[in-house]
Amino acid sequence: MQQATFAFCMILVTIIAYLAMAKVYKRYSYSVLIPVLTATTIIIIILSLFHISYDRYMVGGQWISSLLGPSVVALAYPLYNQRRFLLDNLLPIIGGVLVGASSGMVSVALLAKLFRIDHSLALSLIPKSLTTPVAIEVARGLGGSASLAVVCVMIAGIFGAIVAPSIFKWTRVHTPIGRGIALGSASHAIGTAKAAEYGELTFSMSSITMALSAIIGSVLGPIVVWIFHI
Amino acid sequence: MKTLIVVLQICILYIFSYIGNVIQNFFHLVIPGSIIGLLLLFTCLCFKIIPVKWIESGAGFLLSLLMLFFIPTTVGVMNYSSLLSFQGALFILAVLVSTVISIAITGTAGQFFEKKAQNRKGDQECSKPHSPSV
Repeated sequence: MQQATFAFCMILVTIIAYLAMAKVYKRYSYSVLIPVLTATTIIIIILSLFHISYDRYMVGGQWISSLLGPSVVALAYPLYNQRRFLLDNLLPIIGGVLVGASSGMVSVALLAKLFRIDHSLALSLIPKSLTTPVAIEVARGLGGSASLAVVCVMIAGIFGAIVAPSIFKWTRVHTPIGRGIALGSASHAIGTAKAAEYGELTFSMSSITMALSAIIGSVLGPIVVWIFHI
Repeated sequence: MKTLIVVLQICILYIFSYIGNVIQNFFHLVIPGSIIGLLLLFTCLCFKIIPVKWIESGAGFLLSLLMLFFIPTTVGVMNYSSLLSFQGALFILAVLVSTVISIAITGTAGQFFEKKAQNRKGDQECSKPHSPSV
């Protein structure tokens, strides 16, 4: 009974922290205030204050995580809504997504080699530009750490959303397909949220790219690891 | 009533995710089960095997809360205080540099492909014999 109450409390803490931080983000809309970042920080502070270990937190937390699977399946819904646009621009989209997925993975694999990053750490780096639920599964499949992969995904997402406007200016990328694919393939969901600021077309491009990168990335990940002997 | 519909629709999405996992385990695939579920659902929607109405409320609800479901996993960072070290800094630097490289290359490539596709379409339209306009 006590165990169930504790689990329920952990679920409640997570939901309240998320909803409160989502409100703050909506109000001030700085990229740095992204709810995943702020809510996670608050929960970690609470857990450390009450000396609760991550394993004990996950007794409740796993119930929230269990909704990740159906959420990824739910991405089929926006993809279906945009199927016409997807078909009309099929070749440029597929070309762009292939370049996006491979440039993200190959560059991070090369950098891991260059910086002499530890084998197990490097495996968690590879899926960093995929959307979180997919990155978790790809990292697990490669033998890396799921939570470390999520850290990379979050850093790539937040940092990408912050620097993308300057990079677009510098490389003179002005079209919705160019911007959408770049944001969706490098910064997944956070990049897609950022893409909404450029208009609906860029937004839909980015969400399509995010879903396609997830599919391509889960195949490409093991190949990149094999080629670079990580 | 509305809550019930959302819950039922999430169950449908859950079933797809479960089927995806079964397929992944059965064939020992690298592609995550949830992604297989996504492809299955997308196919079913396209061929009208499953009407959009059956999943749209549930999918909309889950996608609007997407970030929440990541949080328990991100909290796992607390077990990685070792990232606050020289190795950790290099690790984070690799992510940052790779993200910049990836955005620059992909944006340029995407724009290039788009313009090329448009040019081809433009050429096709020009080469078509013009029908007499009335």
